[in-house]
Amino acid sequence: MLTVAGDIVGITLLSLLVCATSTLLATLIAVPLGVTLGLREVGSQRLLRNLLFTLYGLPPVLAGLLVFLLLSRGGPLGGLGLLFTPLGMVTAQVVVVTPIILGITMSVVATVERRVKETAFVLGADRRQLSVTVLREAAAGILTAVMVGFGRAISEVGAVFIVGGHIEGQTQVLTTTIITDIAQADYGHAVALGVILLAIAAVVYSLLYRLQEKTLP
Amino acid sequence: MHFRFAKRWLVGLLAAAVLLVAVGAYLSLPRAYLLMATTTSTRDTGLLPYLLPEFTADTGIQVRYVAVGTGQALDAGRRGDVDVVMVHAPRLEEQFLSEGHGLCRNSIMYNRFVVVGPAADPADVQNATSATDAFLRIHNASVHNASATFESRADNSGTHTRELDLWAAAGLDPSTFGPWYETTEQGMGATLTIANERDAYTLSDDGTWYAREASLPYLALLHAQDEQDEPLLQNPYSVIPVNPSAHPSVLVDQAVTFARWLVGARAQSLIGAFTVNGHAIFTPDGAGGC
Amino acid sequence: MTISLELEGIQKDFDGRKVLQGVDLRVEAGEVFALVGPSGVGKTTLLRCVDFLLRPDGGSVRYGGQEAPRDPGALLALRRRIGFVAQNPLLFRGSVFYNVSFGLCVRGVEGRTLEERTYEALDAVGLHDFAETKGAKLSAGEAQRVAFARAIVVHPEILLLDEFTANLDPANVAQLETAVAAYHRQAGATVLIVTHNLFQAKRVANRAGFLFGGQIVEIDEVDRFFTNPQDERTRAFVRGEMPY
Repeated sequence: MLTVAGDIVGITLLSLLVCATSTLLATLIAVPLGVTLGLREVGSQRLLRNLLFTLYGLPPVLAGLLVFLLLSRGGPLGGLGLLFTPLGMVTAQVVVVTPIILGITMSVVATVERRVKETAFVLGADRRQLSVTVLREAAAGILTAVMVGFGRAISEVGAVFIVGGHIEGQTQVLTTTIITDIAQADYGHAVALGVILLAIAAVVYSLLYRLQEKTLP
Repeated sequence: MHFRFAKRWLVGLLAAAVLLVAVGAYLSLPRAYLLMATTTSTRDTGLLPYLLPEFTADTGIQVRYVAVGTGQALDAGRRGDVDVVMVHAPRLEEQFLSEGHGLCRNSIMYNRFVVVGPAADPADVQNATSATDAFLRIHNASVHNASATFESRADNSGTHTRELDLWAAAGLDPSTFGPWYETTEQGMGATLTIANERDAYTLSDDGTWYAREASLPYLALLHAQDEQDEPLLQNPYSVIPVNPSAHPSVLVDQAVTFARWLVGARAQSLIGAFTVNGHAIFTPDGAGGC
Repeated sequence: MTISLELEGIQKDFDGRKVLQGVDLRVEAGEVFALVGPSGVGKTTLLRCVDFLLRPDGGSVRYGGQEAPRDPGALLALRRRIGFVAQNPLLFRGSVFYNVSFGLCVRGVEGRTLEERTYEALDAVGLHDFAETKGAKLSAGEAQRVAFARAIVVHPEILLLDEFTANLDPANVAQLETAVAAYHRQAGATVLIVTHNLFQAKRVANRAGFLFGGQIVEIDEVDRFFTNPQDERTRAFVRGEMPY
């Protein structure tokens, strides 16, 4: 019983690590990029928007396959030895989560009133200060983007299974364990893990909501 | 003041990201353990958690494994993503070796395939004289009275290959079968679950069957080996260290040590003593050139 | 330092419509100039051309005799010497203090100096006790006063006011006009105020100009402008016969 509990703890901690890391990295990539792109004039954005919306529809399993082929020893980045490791799983999740956070951030920033930009401008803000000001005004919406991104990350199963390999003691996370539990008809265990997953989501979301409340006007 | 606040957030997030990636990197360090690709069936028998710690105790080498379909397991060996492959698909193994992906091969053990099906047994498989006869009965019952359904794994696994061999031995061609012949394209556990739900026959390895039996109330074991230990129902397992010539980074020494240990006296007796829910399913059969 | 503002031949088209068709205007250093005209004639457009929110299609703007520099750093420095208060100002998320101190932060002012100068500006508009109030909770008049404080806290040498007391009640209008006069007196800034309120123009400005048909039609000392306009279009406007 103790080893099982140890397993559950280990699996939960790895889930948390992988999801937190990938959401954070995706945020650090997507938010500055989304603010910059959202501030540009509409015309030049169209091509990018189309590309981005296509990426929204990128099935995570496909992302997983692509990352797998990339990180495999037989593939271009094979030398990094990241296949079947937690960092490999993080990579796959970053690929899946970044377009989501980017797209929502771009939309939110584009709908920030043009007057915000102009007011900051006439008060003497340079480009960097302008971006930060717009970001601040859009903070509530950006936090929504992060929440949606995290939701994607914590529920991801296909890509992390393919890239992680669900190796015991190495790359087993809550979602992949639920899958193998079902294959072995261990439904009770699967449901328990599902409950843990929901609990994690509840805690993270309540923290993010509290943060978001502070960013409302 | 305002912008310093933003800067502080950015620095904080960057620091957190660096920290988390560092932890991830530490957990992803180049592996000191032997990584094996094997099949879901092997995992489902429960043999590995029983056997591998013994190997570690004897040699100090840690082994971890990724359990996927047979095709993907062999492919992992081809790509050099794993150090050693353990599968039970003789024809595919020979192809693997002839293409130069494997260094050598040791056969380890075999378990058996069994025919399982609905407890009511409309095709009367329990009275079949051989596995080939069992398959013939299933075919006839389906075609003549539409009373039987068959689930095929259809995933190029060892089990699937053997199923096709049995149809061929019965003189039948699955491409002519009607809708009673269903394909699941999934692992053994999932296929058994489906067969249980649909009152269908299927071919399973005995390890997975005994491991899952309790959760499959509508199925029963209808034909196992007969006294001559039908070769068609034998499911032999082999271990193949990956050839380092294409992928120098594979841990070839540890892999060969592992292959040799598996056919050594201690491992073989451990394998013979292994039971699944009271059934000793493996027959030790160690041999080979590694 | 006070600088003059010179517009020469400014042209601007919008959607094919010629809004500004050669505007010539010189505002002397340190004077208060009222730009009047009917609604939609292009007064706001003109102001936006001065403060780099719009680029004119033709003509030039000279600040203290110099055209706007090309170098981005120098251009930014020039922009930071110009203040602008819009008609319905947008307040940033947060407190009144955050809003008013924004311009100082942008320029790298912090600590005690930031605090003192911010309160100085708040006092100028009578909002000392509102420092911690959230911008969203202010009335229109209070918000406009915050916007004004926000503009003058950085002591701009050129101050552009775009109908900035339109839609406000007389008490707030008076408050703001006093604040403009006080700032003008203390800093000696050059003020260009756009208004359609003739009485306001008379109260605050030294000279006035009438923008009509894309050009400046008449410029005069403010008293003479309103009592005895020369051009008949100006006369029609002053008499209230032109539709707003």
